[in-house]
Parts: sequence; C-alpha cells; structure tokens
Amino acid sequence: MIKKRILLVDDEEGFTRLLKMNLEKTGKFDVMIENRSTKAALAAKLFHPDLILLDIVMPDMDGGDVASMIQSEPGLSQIPIVMLTALVEQDETSSGAVAQAGTLDVLAKPINMDVMMRCLEEKLGMSSG
Amino acid sequence: MLDAVIDSLPIAIFCKNASEDFRFVLWNKMQEEVTGIPREKALGFTDFDLFPRSEAEGFRAMDEHVVLTGATVEIPAEEVQTGAGKTIWLHTVKVQVEDPALGKNLLLGMSEDVTERRLLNDHLDRKSAELESTQLQLIQAEKMESIGRLAAGVAHEVKNPLALLLMGVEYLDGGVKPGDPNLPEIIEEMREAIHRADKIIRGLVDFSSSGKLTLTRQDIRPVIDQALLLVRHELLRAGATVNTRYQPDLPDVRLDAAKFEQVIVNLLINALHALKDTEQPELDIAIWSVQAGADDLDEGSRSVDRVRPGDEVVIVQICDNGPGIPPDKLNQIFEPFFTTKPTGVGTGLGLSVVRNIIQLHKGRIEIGNRPEGGVRVVMSLRTPAATSEAIDNII
Repeated sequence: MIKKRILLVDDEEGFTRLLKMNLEKTGKFDVMIENRSTKAALAAKLFHPDLILLDIVMPDMDGGDVASMIQSEPGLSQIPIVMLTALVEQDETSSGAVAQAGTLDVLAKPINMDVMMRCLEEKLGMSSG
Repeated sequence: MLDAVIDSLPIAIFCKNASEDFRFVLWNKMQEEVTGIPREKALGFTDFDLFPRSEAEGFRAMDEHVVLTGATVEIPAEEVQTGAGKTIWLHTVKVQVEDPALGKNLLLGMSEDVTERRLLNDHLDRKSAELESTQLQLIQAEKMESIGRLAAGVAHEVKNPLALLLMGVEYLDGGVKPGDPNLPEIIEEMREAIHRADKIIRGLVDFSSSGKLTLTRQDIRPVIDQALLLVRHELLRAGATVNTRYQPDLPDVRLDAAKFEQVIVNLLINALHALKDTEQPELDIAIWSVQAGADDLDEGSRSVDRVRPGDEVVIVQICDNGPGIPPDKLNQIFEPFFTTKPTGVGTGLGLSVVRNIIQLHKGRIEIGNRPEGGVRVVMSLRTPAATSEAIDNII
C-alpha cells in the first residue's frame, strides 16, 4: 500500500513529533513536519503532500493566512487542508482569517487519534482498518 | 509677673530641682488641671509623693537620663487621666536647665494637650486605611476582569501541552514493542508538557491570589516573565514581537508580585489593543537600575511622584511602536472609567488600577508618547535600601 503524505504545520514542536510518531506507527502515512508558518508553502511545494494539517495560532503568520497562500498556489490549491486548533471559543475557529481562507475541517486539540484517523481516511478516500 | 505669664500659658509646665531629689519647684495652672493636683500639694514634693510608684519610677529614670546626658527627651503622645477624670493625650518635652546664679540644676517639663490633633490623626489613619482597602478591592475586581479576558488565552496555552500528552497516551495505548526507539523521547516530551501546563496554571493561580498587599523583597525580572507568559497567547495572536533587555545585576525591589503582574498584564493588553492596526507590532521591555532623578521623561506625561531624588530605583520601561496617545487624551488616561476602547472591550479601570498599584508600592509611573512614535511607559520602584532610608526620613 502506498503511504499517504501528510504535511504537518504547527509551531508546537513536541506535539508535531508525537503526532508524526502516531501517524507513522499506523504504517499508512509519511509525515513531514514544518514548525515555521512562513515556510509552510515552500514545504508543501517540496513535499507534495496528499493532505496538510495546519495549526491556526502560530507566530509570524496564522493558519488562515497560510491556508490562503497555499490555496492560491497553482500546484497546491487542490490539496485538502485540515486545521488544528487549541482555541477555546467557537467564534474564534469559525470567523476571521480561518473563514476567509474558506477552510474546511477544524480538529480541536487535544486530538483523539480515532477522530484524527477518521478525518484523514475520509479526506483521503482511504478505507479504514 | 512672670508667674502670671506662666500660669496663663495653654501648656502644662513643671520644673524639678535635680540637685534636691527632683522636688518640684514650679507647677503652673495648666499642670494643675492636667494632673488634678493643686500647686501647694506639688511644690516641694517628688513624683513618688504624687504618683503611683511604677509611674514615678518611669519619670525618675527619664529625668536622670536628661540630667546626666543633657539630652532633650520627647514623649510624642502619652495618655493621661486629668483631675476631672477626662482622658487626654499629652506631648511632653523634658530638658535640663542650669541656673548658675542659684547653683541649681533644673529639669524643665512642658506638656501640650494634643488630644484633638491625635483624634484627627486617628481619623485620618482610619480614612487612609479605608481608602487603601477600597483601592485593594478595586484592584482585585479589575484583576478578576483581567482573568476573564486572559482565560481563553490561558486555556489555549494549557491545551497545547494537553494535546501533546494525549498524543503520548495514544502512542503508548497502541502497544509498545520492547526497545521502541521513540519511547525515551515520548516520555521526556510528556514530562515537559506537564511542567508547562503546571507553570501556566500556577501562574494564573498566583496572579489571582489575595486581595491584600504583600510586599516582599524580590527580583522583578521573573515577575515580568510570568506576566509575559500569561499574555503569550494574546501576543502570539497579534503577531507581536517582544524584545526584552534586562540589566543582569539588578537590585531587588519590594514588590507584591501578583499585583505587579497585574500592572504588566494591563499595560501589555493595552499596548496590544493600540497596536491592532500596526504592520509589525513590537514591544520593548527594558529593566535597569538608576539613581532617581537621572531618568529623562517626556514632558506632558502624567506622573505620580513617590520617589525621592537620589534613591536607587529600578526602572521598568515598556515601549510600543503603535500610533501613540492623542495629546488631548494624555491627561485623562489615569482617570477611572476613561477608555477609548469600544464598549465591552475595556472597563476604563485598567490604567487607574495600574496607577493605584504603583502608588501602593510608593513608586512612580509616567506615560507619554515617544518622539519616534508609539507610547512609552516608565515605572520607578524603590529598592529596599531606598525604601528604608525614606522611612527613616519620615520617622
């Protein structure tokens, strides 16, 4: 089975390392980590991910702006993006830059791996199990 | 004539002959009223004849000290029962007077009735304590408001380590093969996440603590860092860069850490509101020590002067690169309920409370516009050495 490629963009270094371990442990994914929001678009160009997991609150650029930038790149615009957030208030995740980016799914941290896997399998058209 | 003058004075005067067992040689009218003892029953007698033994011993010890050392002794306030049974407060001064002509060594005592002054002082002290208590209640109320504003950010800061912990649990829950190379890193990351969550929660609990003022001698730098941690989320969301410059060998200050954190949180949140339309928002925080009076502050800024020139003070300066404060608003910024923020964003109590807290620390705060743009807040706090010197001056 060909592994799906996930680009994980989040400034929380420890979290990204452990999420990568969990995803790769399933044997279904190759994960690339990018902890700097400003390098996310470049990482996407180099890595050609099947899906991008993107944190909302990051220094320098927030996730909404990063999503807009990626979606405006010709080669990258079709890549599904799933936002990650530790934000607490509902209106913070459904308005502002995130909404402008037309972004789709938002997974709230702390993230249960079952929820994460269901989301990824659905977005990537993978059969579960 | 001299006797008539002495009798008409509104102060009690007595004189004792130190060469003759401190027997009274002068006892004026007011002294009669204060003690209830007529002159004829006092002149020629000693304290031991007129007053209870314990009191007389105290008077005698003091008198001997005055005569032996030539010092002036002052009893600022002494509670006395008058002959008419009234309780009054006397301010008494005792001095030695030598009369070479008569070869006498006299002890002169003068007592002034300071009852009214004392009652007024007590009243002022009570009012001052009431005012301080009200100030502390206001500060606490504003702090609770700040906590409400910070809650979402703090929750975000705690959720990130929680997310990491859950990732660790998920990994371990899936079964771990012996010798899994990821294990040490996972355990270390989880441990670090627990410390991080603990630190931010502890910070919030400390911040919300006690409505009392507890001044302790401490390094101000960790207090600023803790405040920065509480607003980290807000800084991150605003995309603001924070530059800190702390003098390495900084003297301690006398500080209520939670209240000073409140000052810094308030000032940073204010700055972030002002910076919302600034392209690259920046905040500079500098801390250094200096002799008071040497710091150059902008003209036109509002100040609360509690620092004496020459005191060693610690300066905390916060600058932003925002639009600054309109000059016509500069003299209103410390007024309670003055706000330029939209309804619901600020109570208008923030800077008023900041000033109150700095006043309770006997410090000084000035807020003004920088020539290069943006706002500069300068706070001076006295070091413990300066504080005790100032207290000595007051006493």
